[in-house]
Amino acid sequence: MMACSLVHHGQVNYSLSRIQITQNSFAAFPNDISMAMCRQCPFPACVEVCPTGACHVDTANGNVRTVDEAKCIGCERCVAACPFTPSRAIWNGADKHAQKCDLCADTPFWNEKGGPGGKQACATVCAMKAISFTKDVPVQGADTGYNVDLGSTSKVWQGFGFNVG
Amino acid sequence: MANGYAGKILKVDLTTKTIGEIPTSQYEQWGGGHGMGSAIFWDLCEDPTVDGTDPKNVVTIMAGPLSGTLASGAAGRTEVQGIGLQSMPRGWFTRSNFGGRFSTHLKYAGWDGIVILGKSDKQVWLNIVDGKVTLEDATSLWGLDTHATQQKIWASVLGAPPAGNWDTLGTTRDSGRSTQRPAVLSAGPNAEKFGPWASLVHDGGNGAGQGGFGGVFASKNLKAVSVLGTGGIEVADPNALMQARTWLMGYAVAGNWDNQGKNVAGNWPLPANPGTASSFPKGTALRPQGCAGCVRMCRCRSDKIMGNDSMCVDFFTTAGATPEVTVVWTDLMQKLGLNAFNLVGLFPWLRGLVAEGAIGKGKAIDSSLPFEQMTSVAFGVDLMNSIVNQTDIGKDLALGLWQCAQKWGRLDKDLATGMLPLQEWGYVHHYDGRTEAEWGYGCLLGDRDINEHDFNWICYWTPTIWAAYGMTPLVTAQRMAEIMSKQMIPYSDEPNLIDYSDAGIYSETMAKTTAWHRHYTRYYKQALGFCDWNWADFVNPYGPDFVGATSIGEPKFFNAVTGKNQTFAEGMEIGRKIWNLDRAVWILQGRTRDMEVFSDYMYDVAATAKTPGIPYEMPYTMPVFENGAWSYKSVAGRKLDRQKVEDFKTLFFKLEGWDTKTGWPTRKTLEDLGLKNVADKLQGAGKLGAA
Repeated sequence: MMACSLVHHGQVNYSLSRIQITQNSFAAFPNDISMAMCRQCPFPACVEVCPTGACHVDTANGNVRTVDEAKCIGCERCVAACPFTPSRAIWNGADKHAQKCDLCADTPFWNEKGGPGGKQACATVCAMKAISFTKDVPVQGADTGYNVDLGSTSKVWQGFGFNVG
Repeated sequence: MANGYAGKILKVDLTTKTIGEIPTSQYEQWGGGHGMGSAIFWDLCEDPTVDGTDPKNVVTIMAGPLSGTLASGAAGRTEVQGIGLQSMPRGWFTRSNFGGRFSTHLKYAGWDGIVILGKSDKQVWLNIVDGKVTLEDATSLWGLDTHATQQKIWASVLGAPPAGNWDTLGTTRDSGRSTQRPAVLSAGPNAEKFGPWASLVHDGGNGAGQGGFGGVFASKNLKAVSVLGTGGIEVADPNALMQARTWLMGYAVAGNWDNQGKNVAGNWPLPANPGTASSFPKGTALRPQGCAGCVRMCRCRSDKIMGNDSMCVDFFTTAGATPEVTVVWTDLMQKLGLNAFNLVGLFPWLRGLVAEGAIGKGKAIDSSLPFEQMTSVAFGVDLMNSIVNQTDIGKDLALGLWQCAQKWGRLDKDLATGMLPLQEWGYVHHYDGRTEAEWGYGCLLGDRDINEHDFNWICYWTPTIWAAYGMTPLVTAQRMAEIMSKQMIPYSDEPNLIDYSDAGIYSETMAKTTAWHRHYTRYYKQALGFCDWNWADFVNPYGPDFVGATSIGEPKFFNAVTGKNQTFAEGMEIGRKIWNLDRAVWILQGRTRDMEVFSDYMYDVAATAKTPGIPYEMPYTMPVFENGAWSYKSVAGRKLDRQKVEDFKTLFFKLEGWDTKTGWPTRKTLEDLGLKNVADKLQGAGKLGAA
């Protein structure tokens, strides 16, 4: 979350992050951490409902679903339309526009090439290699397609002696 | 301003119930964290000689410029300071700190720290949501454990239990949204009843454990502090910060997934300290977990919930307890808000008392606790509850270990043998000053057990494990000494800084090592928050020629965030300044050189790692320089020489520019550090060191 807000906005700010991680120390693993990242839906509801075309498919950047902030009128239909909780399209109350994960296609504060063909800040800084970009579309409509248990499938993690259930 | 600071410090007067602000710029020269905390305490505490429960005690809870950023190992820590309740013969002005996500939210809420003054007439908790700060009724929370308290506060702040969605904080659509739970710091149930034992707990087990700050909170009628921030912190050079982050990942498993087997000694730098992971029962599913911004991930979350966010000593209460028992004890310890180290010291003492026939039903120390099964769940649960509820021996234990021993008429006797393992100032023996000298001296000349493992990982644990398991050292003792000398600016011209030989531990060089450690930790670790589990990074298997990140990494992160161009040497000098300010407070509190003596067992009993019976210690193998050569050698069996320790103190005081007769800083030393006002105050109290 820190990296996302940093490379997009020049500040560390959880509320501006287009990936949201929430934690509950009083819940049992694996429900102690919820990961909410944009799924770049094949049929994106956020794009469909946008009245101005601000939320659009960016064909110049590998078809990433993203928000043209200059065109956003602040109706928040994209925020409401996202089928997931929390909404992956988020409201930037400071700058008054919607925004969402653009796979780091536009990161004015980071000197790395982003977008689907480049680097993503969140994946770059993740110390556990929990985040990665994939072109294999997981099962939609539920969380199951994204619950890849890197722990039990990772030789490295098993090598640490972790029981992963 | 894009410099990592929020720009203001929250000032709460519980007596008058007024909420105010201090501009951070007023204290920016001190860095953050402990530096600011000490300076604020100096300015605002009318009388540092009062007891820690006095309303005049000033408590600071400080973040720093790196809090809430990607500065690995620095982003997540929060520093707590004030007059403590634990140390003897008096509560020194002391510190503790804790990890997690509290300092992140404090910064995002727009605050660089919190200063708490006075005492509330009613039981309250402090509620911070961005710029909105209120004192709430804590009557219904006062007797709750730390976990229940935090969850009730979450529901109160959010209006309902957290549902995993965006919550709008405030009344307009732009007043701030968050998916996050508030970060809460809480004392245990009725913590005023066991103040010297009482910790502060955040989330599952991030503990400001030592010092009795839970008791200090309770003495102010303060139960908890909650903070939720929906704002952000501008960073001077975001790209440089990203680069620094990926650079540092190269020094950890995080950046070496295809080469993770390369660790110095099975401990560093793996995620989730194996001692933590193996403390869970077999078959427990775990994930590594870390504080905000970290690359190390030293803790776990389990599918049993118990033990979440706890690590290391939280699980090491006593030898012989199975993991099935340990996780229950750990969970209860965190919920009750008890100092884990006090439990570690209590068990060998109780074992010794049992062996002597001195404790039990109808014995001299009458107790109905089940001593015949000290490693059972029931024993630990009953013991902890007795302290919290002042029943059975808990009534006396709750006074503090030293105070309890004094009441039982056993203090001198049990400190002489080490059966009661209080190494200095009434703090439990953590690591052994008879062998690892800089640890002991740092505690003795300061205010508490230092809990700073910078030399401990590399100079004690690593060679000890190599020796114990017949492993080939990754680096020779000579190479270790070379690497570390270079990093220990400004003493880099000294080749023997890690000489733990029988002569070395009393040398002027060891005085420099001890001084370096005090200065480094005061600034980099306690003021800027670089975490003990990630820094100092002296010797690293992933570093070029095994050279770790320290002296390069710390300024790299600091300058990327703040936009400054501060050198490592400049940071070390700020650390020396903070250390001298703290020394001045202790002197006003009554510190004299003749008080600075270890417990008798340190001088009279050989260090065998069995006396005292601290469960995790192994016999000490450390680097030594003897007969013109470096080697790793067993230094077990050593005792300290009283006169040599006194002579060492003289060397140390001279090095630090303090009066060698008293250990008090001189005017020149203080004025050279820009602390003329401190010199004036000490002079006024008749406690300024003579030149």
